[in-house]
Amino acid sequence: MRIPILKLSHYLLISVQVDLDDQTALQFQEDLLSKIHEEGSTGVVIDLTSVDMIDSFIAKVLGDVVEMSNLMGAKVVLTGIQPAVAITLIDMGIMLEEVPTALDLEQGLEKLQQELEG
Amino acid sequence: MHSSVVQAINDHQEQLVSNWKKEMARVQEEYFKNSLPDDLVFTNNEEFIDVLYSSVRLERSEAEGKIKHFAERLIQTDWPLSYFTQGMQAFRRIVTAYIVPYINNAEEDSMNLIVEVEEWVDAIVNQLVDDYSDSWVKTLELQQMALNELSAPLIPVFEKVSVMPLIGAIDTERAKLIMENLLDGIIQHRSQVVLIDITGVPVVDTMVANHIIQASKAVRLVGAECILVGIRPEIAQTIVNLGIDLSTFPTKSSLRKGIESALELTQRKMVRIEHGAEWRA
Repeated sequence: MRIPILKLSHYLLISVQVDLDDQTALQFQEDLLSKIHEEGSTGVVIDLTSVDMIDSFIAKVLGDVVEMSNLMGAKVVLTGIQPAVAITLIDMGIMLEEVPTALDLEQGLEKLQQELEG
Repeated sequence: MHSSVVQAINDHQEQLVSNWKKEMARVQEEYFKNSLPDDLVFTNNEEFIDVLYSSVRLERSEAEGKIKHFAERLIQTDWPLSYFTQGMQAFRRIVTAYIVPYINNAEEDSMNLIVEVEEWVDAIVNQLVDDYSDSWVKTLELQQMALNELSAPLIPVFEKVSVMPLIGAIDTERAKLIMENLLDGIIQHRSQVVLIDITGVPVVDTMVANHIIQASKAVRLVGAECILVGIRPEIAQTIVNLGIDLSTFPTKSSLRKGIESALELTQRKMVRIEHGAEWRA
């Protein structure tokens, strides 16, 4: 199962529509990094609106992806984290402190623009 | 119930009732210290004994309905449950003491008779206690619901700005509710900034602070921002004395200042409207 990565001018859009298992998440990490390399994107939005469960491994992968993308010069914003997911993450002690977040895709894109300008 | 017992209870109704009333007068004096109003006691006693007798005569379901009706009426007037249990016990004492000598047939074992009367009385007591406790449980549930509704409302005050006023002590259970309401409200109102107002929280200890910090981190994950407002001087003192680190957390002393900085965060501000030129001219 591969997660589609869409290109929108300098940005990459990813909407995760399936339950992430370990394999899918790692595949996604590779796909995204090579895509950033190919396209030279400067910003990435990962939308998690349809994800209603995140375990500690997936959370770690997501944190890693953000860090790796930053190393490659692409800012990442996570959007649409559901309340239940947020509560689980906090309960597990995963704060994702370094990762910018936004309510939905629209605000995520806005935030990305701000971060790139600022 | 055995027909001979029913027969005996019916036959000696007058004597039993008058004995029972005497006993109840004693109970009223000793147990309730005459605190219950006399006229009410009188009418309730009349109805009580009537219900008791009908439970002997009527079918089971019919009698249950009658007892339920009686209990409901008295629950509404806050009549004490112990009055009923005392009354039933008094009735049992009198019936067993009075009836047994009258039914002295050879085949009737007096122990059996007593057991039958006990069963009859116990069934009624159980039903009364059930009715009473049901009504208490219902009241408790209603209060709990009302409390939850008042517990943590999220109020959208401007576009993208919401306020959650917290009043009263915060325990773990409530903190959970606060977090859920907060996050669901943010999604629902599409808020970017949430002001948590702790003016009405009497004590902020490490646990409460921890809950608030957790909530604000969760708020950040769903894509909004949290500002803590309404920090009273004594709260500021406790927070620093307890060594709680709120430095990563934007705080403001009053809700008004909080709203100003929330508007700033969403690129807006409040301006005074200049009155039209017609008044200056």
